[in-house]
Amino acid sequence: MSNTDIVLEICGSAGEGTISSGEIFNRYISSIDFEIMSFDTYPSEIRGFGKCVAHSRFSTQKIFTPGKYTDILIALNDAHSISQLGHLKDTGVVIYDSKPPKYHEEDKSIVGWMEPGMISYGIPFNDLAQKAAGNSRGRNMVALGAVCALFGVDHEEFKNTIIQRYAKKKQIVIDNNVNSFVEGYNWANDNLTKIDSISFKKGKNKNEKESIIINGNQAVAKAAIDSELHLYAGYPITPATKIMEILSHELPKKNGIMLQTEDEISAIGNVLGAGFAGKRSMTATSGPGFALMTEFMGLSVMAQIPAVIVNSQRGGPSTGLPTKTEQSDFNAAVNGGTGDLPRFVIAPASVEECYDGTTLAFYLAEKYQTLVVILLDFFLSNSIRNIDEPTPPTEKMLNSNIAPNEKELKDYVRFKETKTGVSPRSIPGTPNGMYTTTGLENNERGKPQYDGKLHTKMSDMRYRKLNSALNDVPKPKWTGPKKDIDVGILSWGSSAGAAYEAATIANKNGHRVAVLSSLVVFPVNEVDLTKFCNESKQILIPELNYSGQYANFIASYINRPVERLNMVSGLPMASEDVLSKIDEMIAS
Amino acid sequence: MSAKDHFIIIGNGPAGNNAAEVLRENDKKARISIISTESFSFYYRHRLKDFISGRIPAEDLVVKHYSEYKDKNIRLRLGQFVEKIDPEKKILYLKHMEKINYTKLIIATGGSPRILPSLTIFQDYLTMFSTYSDTVGLRHRIEKAKEIVVLGGDLTSFSFVKSLVKACKKVSFLLFNDAFWPISLTSEMILKIEENLKSHNVATFFNDSVEMIKKSKSKYTIETKQNNKIKSDIIISLMGMIPNIRFILGSSIDTDRGVLVDAYLRTNFKDIYAAGDCAQIYNPILKNYWVSIGWMNAEEQGKIAALNLLGDSKIIEPPKEEIFEYEGIKVNTSWWKKF
Repeated sequence: MSNTDIVLEICGSAGEGTISSGEIFNRYISSIDFEIMSFDTYPSEIRGFGKCVAHSRFSTQKIFTPGKYTDILIALNDAHSISQLGHLKDTGVVIYDSKPPKYHEEDKSIVGWMEPGMISYGIPFNDLAQKAAGNSRGRNMVALGAVCALFGVDHEEFKNTIIQRYAKKKQIVIDNNVNSFVEGYNWANDNLTKIDSISFKKGKNKNEKESIIINGNQAVAKAAIDSELHLYAGYPITPATKIMEILSHELPKKNGIMLQTEDEISAIGNVLGAGFAGKRSMTATSGPGFALMTEFMGLSVMAQIPAVIVNSQRGGPSTGLPTKTEQSDFNAAVNGGTGDLPRFVIAPASVEECYDGTTLAFYLAEKYQTLVVILLDFFLSNSIRNIDEPTPPTEKMLNSNIAPNEKELKDYVRFKETKTGVSPRSIPGTPNGMYTTTGLENNERGKPQYDGKLHTKMSDMRYRKLNSALNDVPKPKWTGPKKDIDVGILSWGSSAGAAYEAATIANKNGHRVAVLSSLVVFPVNEVDLTKFCNESKQILIPELNYSGQYANFIASYINRPVERLNMVSGLPMASEDVLSKIDEMIAS
Repeated sequence: MSAKDHFIIIGNGPAGNNAAEVLRENDKKARISIISTESFSFYYRHRLKDFISGRIPAEDLVVKHYSEYKDKNIRLRLGQFVEKIDPEKKILYLKHMEKINYTKLIIATGGSPRILPSLTIFQDYLTMFSTYSDTVGLRHRIEKAKEIVVLGGDLTSFSFVKSLVKACKKVSFLLFNDAFWPISLTSEMILKIEENLKSHNVATFFNDSVEMIKKSKSKYTIETKQNNKIKSDIIISLMGMIPNIRFILGSSIDTDRGVLVDAYLRTNFKDIYAAGDCAQIYNPILKNYWVSIGWMNAEEQGKIAALNLLGDSKIIEPPKEEIFEYEGIKVNTSWWKKF
């Protein structure tokens, strides 16, 4: 049976139910065992002023990107949707409101801009919603009803998904949504003749496996709860705010604390305070907030206090592009701060890795008594997947602090030199485990001391922890051929999905393309990196920043030229982008 | 003319395209838009019969690709229906709820299939075609069909039958000589046509007419007045064309069977012109209106309408030797003899 791979977009104004209708559609399609990858974009402005797009890809095969070109575009708002036609496939379908309350002005109608081959279905969203509920709020549900009729989606099952979605609302809200949906479904069945070939009927049977629909931010929050997070301190900022929102109601259930601070400096200060007290703590921010945290990042390293910072990157610099995606905080994450500042940097490539990366972050922070930065980005934070229920952290991961033993507590030396660089850490309140610590360079007992010999020794110890940890973190993931590689792609973060898909297609086309991506991007696993590069005739590094931050960083390790693919369009990288670069490299 | 001008042509056939070409050649700044109900770019309509019978691919129909319009800065709006015109305010209202302002307008909407009043009650059983979209599903049905009946009432029907025969179909042909379009067939012509069709193994029914059509499952049976029973998988009705002017009715633009225009192709509204199969043109010498059919006539009229829209004063000349009388109207054809 051939695969089904459909990209659907719902485009409307803020407040029109664009994102919620996308969410409902995702939820149902997930239940019939399609792979889902979804990405919502929305404005920072308030209702009525901005464009929202719920973009979803549904496939019967494994997918890693949200898909660049759309098969079905639902235009809840014509004027906003016109620009979406730019990536509608040549034979794509547009579903639009055929009876808006008044005529569109010239060039403000989506149908006016359609090109030959594209197919349009006009449905009177407004009239049908009015008929169903007495107001036009259910236009989005009318559209979903029409989609189910046109593309072979079981409308009875779908109705249940709507009911579940609004289960906490008043009955009238549920009824209005369901009735609007049914109106759309019936009208499309009675009035439209299908002339496209798109169908969801090829979905596998009902999904019996335990799976959840979750985005990157939700995965991080879930992982934090599962990792026994005690304190979250933060200041809201797009695109990380959702993490805070979730934890604000989930943490108290676990006797944890969510603290909204006056700014990001205070947030990281609170995180260090809790960390010093032996409680797992974290904050989440974006570029501008991360910049404010750099001084305390130094304290985390110097005082050897566990701290987890999530930086969900957006377009920068400065306040930049709050609702656009970018991978341009790599330099800040790896090098940000003053002095020699060893830290771990984790860059998940997928929603699954958002979960795994976060549980790993708490483990590493606690065990190695240092700072861990998790680099998400706008796309990953909002990227929705249906994934298997993730594996919660093991007992070992939940209790990773290396505490002093009884013998050590008899004469406790907080920063005692060890082979691994990790000194046993007593939690305040531990009998005989008292110690002092500051941001000043200190001797093994924590007493400030500035002589060069000691600073060298302590610096070496702090860095030694990273080397020791290399055997404690997942090895880089190497996919594709292991030898005679035409193009070896070194990928990081959310761009890795595009690299996997592009490599798969290139290999089907007879090339030899491999991908190496690492969940932990700093410290670098040089053994695997060197081996990979030695097997690759050419190296490609795709990333969503202008200057090639990862490429510049990695060049010092591999000491050879690399090809770069840098994009700062604000959109996630697509497999087509990487594939076209691969083709260009192989042809040259 | 200025960049503020917006010339709109309704119709993407030979008249509309020629008009657009002439407008662009003579005015580099004005906005030019073509609005067409069809979703397929400009194509050779007379090749549709060969496309339906599977003898040529869709690419061979194309006269001009979509990109060529972009190259000339002509906005081509395909698959869009003008629902009404407000000639006073110079606004077009489109079915998909968009309104468009124009400064000057050319109506070149061509024609659509005619159905005989006597066949109206069987309309659901008849297949007609005049556009590419009509033919997309039909091509597949023809491919599967073994027996086909053609109800012939125009010149296209003869050539279509020939295409079907070449595609190895079993064809029956009922001639509607009393209602033939656009000319009246002489008995001499009828004899020659019958002889020709029979030589191609076409079953001909020339002095007969449809009494009843029955459908059982996917098979049709035509019962004729002379008690013939003809089985068929598809019944194709080809009875000529009627001008596409329904959207104009009620707009105060003068119409009869087509849009009434003077010898300069001007309607009764300043800045609105009509050209091609949809126009009914007044000729002061004949003291009557005449219509024209055919590609070359349409092209010529598109050109004249465009030049006059730009300020010229060209008169369209009917070639007298090819004018026929049809239902009281003079008809100019320039292509039918080729068949």
